[in-house]
Order: sequence, then structure tokens, then C-alpha cells
Amino acid sequence: MGRRLKYILFISCGVSILIGLFFRPEHVHFWWEKIPVFDAIFGFLGCIVIVLGSKALGHRGIQKDEDYYD
Amino acid sequence: MIDIVPPAFIFILGAILLPVVRERRLRQVFQLLIPVIAFIDLLYMPEGTYWIYNFLGYDLILGRVDKLSMCFGYVFVIVAFLGMVYALHVREVGQHVAAFLYIGSTLGVTFAGDIFTLFVFWEIMAVSSVFLIWYQRDKPALDAGFRYIMVHIFGGCALLAGIIIHVSNTGSTHFGFIEYGGLASQLILLGFIINAAVPPFHAWLSDSYPEATVTGSIFLTAFTTKSAVYVLLRTFPGVELLVWLGAIMAVYGVVYAVLENDIRRLLAYHIISQVGYMVCGVGLGTEMSMNGTTAHAFCHILYKALLFMGVAAVIHVTGRRKLTELQGRNLYKKMPICLSLYMIGGFSISAVPLFNGFISKTMVVAAAGELHRPIIHLLLHLASIGTFLHTGLKLPYGTWFGRVPEGEKIEEGEIEAKEPPLNMLIAMGMAAFLCILIGVYPKILYSILPYPVHYHPYTLNHIVSMMQLLLLTAVAFWLYIDKLGGEPTISVDTDWFYRKPGVLILWLCTHPLQDLRFRLQGFVTKIVANVSSLSKNPILLPEIAIRYIHLRIINRLYHAFELYEDKLDELKELESRLVAVREMRYDENVYRRPIGFGVLVAVILLFLYGLIYFIKLR
Repeated sequence: MGRRLKYILFISCGVSILIGLFFRPEHVHFWWEKIPVFDAIFGFLGCIVIVLGSKALGHRGIQKDEDYYD
Repeated sequence: MIDIVPPAFIFILGAILLPVVRERRLRQVFQLLIPVIAFIDLLYMPEGTYWIYNFLGYDLILGRVDKLSMCFGYVFVIVAFLGMVYALHVREVGQHVAAFLYIGSTLGVTFAGDIFTLFVFWEIMAVSSVFLIWYQRDKPALDAGFRYIMVHIFGGCALLAGIIIHVSNTGSTHFGFIEYGGLASQLILLGFIINAAVPPFHAWLSDSYPEATVTGSIFLTAFTTKSAVYVLLRTFPGVELLVWLGAIMAVYGVVYAVLENDIRRLLAYHIISQVGYMVCGVGLGTEMSMNGTTAHAFCHILYKALLFMGVAAVIHVTGRRKLTELQGRNLYKKMPICLSLYMIGGFSISAVPLFNGFISKTMVVAAAGELHRPIIHLLLHLASIGTFLHTGLKLPYGTWFGRVPEGEKIEEGEIEAKEPPLNMLIAMGMAAFLCILIGVYPKILYSILPYPVHYHPYTLNHIVSMMQLLLLTAVAFWLYIDKLGGEPTISVDTDWFYRKPGVLILWLCTHPLQDLRFRLQGFVTKIVANVSSLSKNPILLPEIAIRYIHLRIINRLYHAFELYEDKLDELKELESRLVAVREMRYDENVYRRPIGFGVLVAVILLFLYGLIYFIKLR
């Protein structure tokens, strides 16, 4: 199941990026929306930033033992 | 108009009648019938302002019906029905009564036309909802419930103070747009954003919702925060502060969700995150953002109920609520239907095209784009990533699939698990159906929004950019999959400020303050005892005073110089006489004077009066 899901994921990533490369939006609000496949890059990097950033915050004091308040 | 009644009353009446119905089947029918009746009632409510009652010179308005209040009214009644189906197997009547009161008061808030009515229902909402937490009946739930009600009482007090200042300033009790600025509006806003769980006043939500009963948490997710969003839409559209609070809130919830181990608490942090979009939309204040906020509240209530139903079902059948206890147990084999329905909720909240989150969340984000707010736009985008990462990927992976981290042992034996009871699955199925229906055919929702909708969610650009965002999030998730397992920790949030120093305050109360109380009490009691014994015979007061002073002087002298060894007996004698005088009761015969004495006193007083009068006259 895992392998098949991985293929589906990568294929659909490829398809969405390809479509994103060929169909550019005509009307944009911000300059970064003109960058090709900006959303893909933002999604990938944003996810990593969230995971690493939160974990870093968590391990620097936010996360406590479960009996912290007892 | 005569045939319809305020929908709030239908639920409150239902809450009163429910315990009377003894037969279980009949009660179940009754439970489902109430929301249905309320829904029909809503369909027949015309737009306008009615049900106005005069009370102490103020108009209490129970029916202010326009598109905005109707939209919230519909979704509240729908989720009330879904929640009741989900809770149908619960035998404890009290839970249903609390839920009905809670729903009824929320509808009261929704259709209130003046701020007094609003406030009354607002408080009933807080008081009735806390029982959905307390019915869990364990210590964490009781404690969390107390913290929950304390925070809401604080918010209610702020709101009441604001209302009083507002009414005395403007003389109007109308519940509508309030100009932001000045103490009254700030207090009212504070009361509202506490209920909307805006940081730093959000910790009550993530603290208490995960402790509620399995079925009660469904109701909790729907009403308090969304009714707060509704009142914010009414009163504070376009307040710049809310734009930033909302955007920060959206990311804040996501950050905490990464760290969370308790599955319902993880979802609770996502309520905060999603309400962030709505608060931001209120702050942006354009027609599009207000539409987006309303639509997102509508959709959010449906998919959040579905998500909570999914994880609550897992808790119901396994009795476990932490990722560290669930991961690696392959529960998906035992509860595939539950998982599938949960995933529909997960896709909805993540705004996957064809699910309802897509048609509402993108509207708020697009509104930020139209106003050229780059930072807000990016923050909301970032929160979208986090939402999919947790609710769509991490939580289902950890709960139903998952791997045990290397080096850790899991306890032996299989977890008992099966599909949840049929009524739970039916409720989830209906919620999932609505999520997809609105996602596929957004016109249903768009047609009931407060303003005309000019937004088209299904453009190629929208779909492709959203798919890129989500798919690449999934790829990044795959890379960090081992980092994202649950950790057996809890996260310190702003509730720290009243939980840790709170203990100090408690100590302060039980030790120094209590001590002070005893001292004061002792002192006052002594005074009272003295006064009461002295007032037995007030005429003797001068004599007692003289004797007392005399005795004290003698006493002091004796102790100071230790002279008069032989006077000791005299001292005792003085003391016993003082006691004897104090003990002497009032006896009118002892103090009786001849009548002439009274006349003399009267004449003297008359003379003095005359004297003063004449002197004054000069």
C-alpha cells in the first residue's frame, strides 16, 4: 500500500507542477505569484519550516513532561 | 409569524421536557425531532426584526433575522442534529439536556437584536457547555471544566462591563456595528475574542475540549467559537487589530499542533488555527472577506464536527487518546469506514478541491490578496500547509497506521478496536456527505451568504496552486515522517499563567489570607462580645469606664514598680468590683427619678434652645 501511494503522490505532484508551468495566471496580486510553481516550492519549504521550527520551539521549553501540572 | 417561535426556545423547551420522557426509544426520537422542528422553524422565519419584548424600559429583541444570522442559524441547527445522532447511544439524560441548553442559547445569541439579550444567552452558553466537560467525570475533566468556566466568567464580566459603559454612553442597546476605540468597545471586543479563542486568550479551548465527553466535544467544537465569530462579524468588521490577530492565530494553532500528542487536543489547536482565518476575514472587512468568513464558519462547523467524531470514535472504542499509545497498531484494518469518513473531514479542512474547505478558505485568502496584504496572505498560506500536514497526514497516519519509533517498545497484545456504533457512523456519514455536497456544489452555500458572491473557486489556477501546495506538503511529510511521531509530552501554553502562578495564589489564599481572616474575625468577635455585654446596662458605662481606668492605672503601677505588696488584695478587690458592676443588670426601679427631674431637664433644654435661637437671631 505504501509503495503504491508513493507513486500516486509523485505522479500527481508531477502533473500539477506541469500544469502549473504551462498555464500561467493572467491576473496576479503579488510579485511572487509570477514565479513558476511558486506554490509547490512554498508548500515544500513551508512544511519543512513548520516541522523544524515547531520542534525546535517545542524542545526549547514548550514541551514538558506529562505530569508537569500535577 | 404567530406560528413560529424563537428557535432558541425550541431547544430550551426540549431541554426541559427531555428528562420527563422516560421511555428510551421515545427519548431518542424526541432528541432527533427537536433539531428537525427547529430547522423547519428557521425555514419559516421571515427576514426582519420581531419578537420584541419591553423589559425595564429596554427592548429585548429575540428575532433579528437577516441573511447573516440565518446562515449561522442553519449550520448550528444542522450540526445540532448531527451531534444528536452521534450521541444517540448515550443513556445519560443530563448530557443531552446540557447540549440542548447549549444549542438553544447559541441560537439565542445568533438571533439576538440587542446586547442585553445577547449577554443573557452568552452566559447561558458558557454555563451549559461546561457540563459537557464535567460529564466526563474524571479529575482532569473536572479541573479543565473549572478553568473553562473561570475564563468564560472573566470574559463575560469584561463583556458586561463593556456593554454597560456602551449603553450609558450611547443610550442604545442595539446590537450592531460598534466603532472600535474607547474603553467600552475594547471591553466588548475582549469578551468576544475570549470566546473566539484568540491568542493569548485561547488556552481554555485546547485545555478543555479534549477533556470533554466523547459526544459532548462535538457540540463544543461547533458553537462557542463560531458564535463569537458571528458577533465579531456583527460588531467589529474592518478592525485592523483583528487582521493580525487572526493571521497570527492561524499559524499559532498550527505550530502547537506539531507538538501535540493527544489526538483531540491536536484537533483543538486546529480549531484555533481555522478560527484564525475567520477572525482575519472579519478584520479585513470587505464584502468578500465577510462572505468568506461566514462560509468558512459554515464549512468549518461541518468538517470539524466530522473530524472530532472520527477521533472521538477511536477514543470510544479503544479508550486511548494519545498518538504514542495508538501509533503502530494498524487500527485501519479494524475501523476502515471510520478512517475513510475521517479522511473526508481531513481533506475538507485542508481545502482539497471538491471538499467544502476549498470553497470557503480560499475565499478568505483571496480577499487578503485583493486587498494586497502580502504578509497576511503568506501567513494564511502557511497555515494551510500546516493544516494539511497535521489533520490530513500526521494525525490519521499516527492514529490508524503509524510506526513505533526505533528503540521504543510498545506494550504487548492487540488493542481492542472495532467500528464505532452505527449511530456514530451515520452521523459521520451525514457530515461527510454535506462536506462533499457543498464542495462539489458551492452554490448551495453561496446563495445564503450575506452579500452577493462574485468569487469562483473552481478556476484552473486555484485548483492547480492548491494541489501543488498540498502535494508538496505531502512530499515533505514523507521526508520527515519519523520526526512527526507523537512524543509523550504536553505543551505549555498561555494557560500556564493561571495554572502555575494559580497555585501560588491558592497558597496565598489558604495561608496568609486565611490567617488574616481568623485574626480579624477574632478581633471583631471580641468587640461584639464587649459591646453586647456593656449594652446590658448603658447607664453604668461611665462608672465602668472610671473603674476600668482606675484598675488599669493601679495595675500598671503595681507591675512597674512592684511596690505595694500589700495592695494585691486591694487590686483583686477592685477587679471583682468591676466585674460585679459589669454584671449588674438594668433595673428601671433603681434609676427611677421623680417626675420633676424630667420636667427640669426639659426646661433646661428649652432654655438652651431659646438661647441659641436668640443668639442666632442677632
